[in-house]
Amino acid sequence: MPIIIISSDSYRTGRDIGEKAARAIFYDYVDRDILPPVCEKYGVQEEKLLKALEETPSFLGLSTKLRNKYLAYIQEATLGQLLDDNVVCHGLAAHLYVLGVSHALKVRVLSDPDILARELSTDAGHPPDKVKKMLKRYEEQRKNWSLGTFNLDETDPSNYDMVISLTQIDPDEAVKTIVDIAGYRKFQPMTYSIRCLQDKELAGRVRVVLMEQFPDVRVIADRSTVVVETKAVKREKRKRTEAIKELAGSIEGVKYVEVHVATDIFRQAAESAR
Amino acid sequence: MAIITISRGSYSKGKDVAERVAERLGYECVSRDVLLEASDRFHIPEVKLIRAIHDAPSILDRFKHGKQIFIAYIRSALMCRVANDNIVYHGLAGHVLLTGVPNVLKVRIIADMADRIKAEMEREGISEEDARILLQRDDEERRKWTKALYGVDPWDSSLYDLVVHISTLTVPDAVDFICEAATKDQFKATESYRRKIKNLGLACQVKAALVDPFFDVGVTCESGNVVIYTGANDRQVSKLKKRAKELEKEIEEINNLEVHAGVPIPEDAF
Repeated sequence: MPIIIISSDSYRTGRDIGEKAARAIFYDYVDRDILPPVCEKYGVQEEKLLKALEETPSFLGLSTKLRNKYLAYIQEATLGQLLDDNVVCHGLAAHLYVLGVSHALKVRVLSDPDILARELSTDAGHPPDKVKKMLKRYEEQRKNWSLGTFNLDETDPSNYDMVISLTQIDPDEAVKTIVDIAGYRKFQPMTYSIRCLQDKELAGRVRVVLMEQFPDVRVIADRSTVVVETKAVKREKRKRTEAIKELAGSIEGVKYVEVHVATDIFRQAAESAR
Repeated sequence: MAIITISRGSYSKGKDVAERVAERLGYECVSRDVLLEASDRFHIPEVKLIRAIHDAPSILDRFKHGKQIFIAYIRSALMCRVANDNIVYHGLAGHVLLTGVPNVLKVRIIADMADRIKAEMEREGISEEDARILLQRDDEERRKWTKALYGVDPWDSSLYDLVVHISTLTVPDAVDFICEAATKDQFKATESYRRKIKNLGLACQVKAALVDPFFDVGVTCESGNVVIYTGANDRQVSKLKKRAKELEKEIEEINNLEVHAGVPIPEDAF
């Protein structure tokens, strides 16, 4: 059965729709509730993982390196959950990294801006006009975050199968539409699409292991073969290749590791100038 | 019964979707006909209207207000068509031209660039590179047009009730979703909606009659009572009042017509 990935302009709206859809078709619902075990496994505070999911790197906030590391943890955990299929997933940015998996139905749900502003205004005690401006800023921030992190614009409708606005469409009708689409044959898992997801999950696990030592690695998996791309100065290439092969080779499911090391021209130039 | 607008980029299969939706629901399918009607009624060559609604305004246009004039004509013709509802409009800018009209189901159909390029190559017999350039230029023109005249980006999903990506989902799927949504209560025309559309139609008709040369007037209408707002100087106001009196006689549906000068134009005015 398919995976349903929900994205929304409001966490509350996305969660509401996701939970209702999961209940309607007896799927598991995966949300940020999967983060506490991740925190325990890697010794990170949950607050930091949430920051990585929400904020762009900044001088006073998370560094790019830490943000990428935390996101890799989240990605690994989420992809692990999605392997089970029959899952509705929301709040973990899966719409930005589960790409090319044909049994993943991606839907973006947009809240009614007036209702959202009213709700937030009641919660935060700000006037609705101020809240509307804050929401506009938040949308811009999300766009920058998704572009900076995954090179995809979260607000671009072409990244989804469908976008539903709740301004005129009732949430229950939106849920019904999502559930109906999930039943379409084209969203049923096939051997190839399952393999694509398994490859992503394996790549995610390998990346988490390698990132501790080599934060810039890119990992692609194809069945049990893993291709790792990284950068190093010439004299370090061999050493790095061996280290990566040893680390990645010890991970469950990996049978062959191919390492592509490009020359780090900036470090190389800096070393030559010394 | 509903009013459905389908916004689309070139070669996004939106036309196909619109025609099938209209066929299934037994609605009227309207696109270029609105331009032809406006062209007939206001004696403007169709090509000028097409340019007005397609190309982004140039710097010169912003001074001449030519586009606002043509758009007022097109909007007036479109409002006349939607007054009877049961209509699918898939022409340009439906979602912005019908601003203020209740119970409109606003849909956008998008397709992958690669598929659009392929379709354009097949139809026009041009190279992949040329097709890409043409499509990108066309998209950019649409974006600039909507931003310049209405301050919104047509790619912004929040302008629509439903955005369907034709890729994994197909044209028949999109038709199913739209037909299903159109039958919901919130999109059905009620008597009060019909009255509102009639009033909006009348306001648009008055605006279209005045827009050349009074391009900066705002017009509202409530139960056939039309109010024209203007910020023009005294000489212009007296000219406008004279023209307004003529209009009151020309258009039967007007109960009463007033000109309000020197007051701010309401946001919902045309």
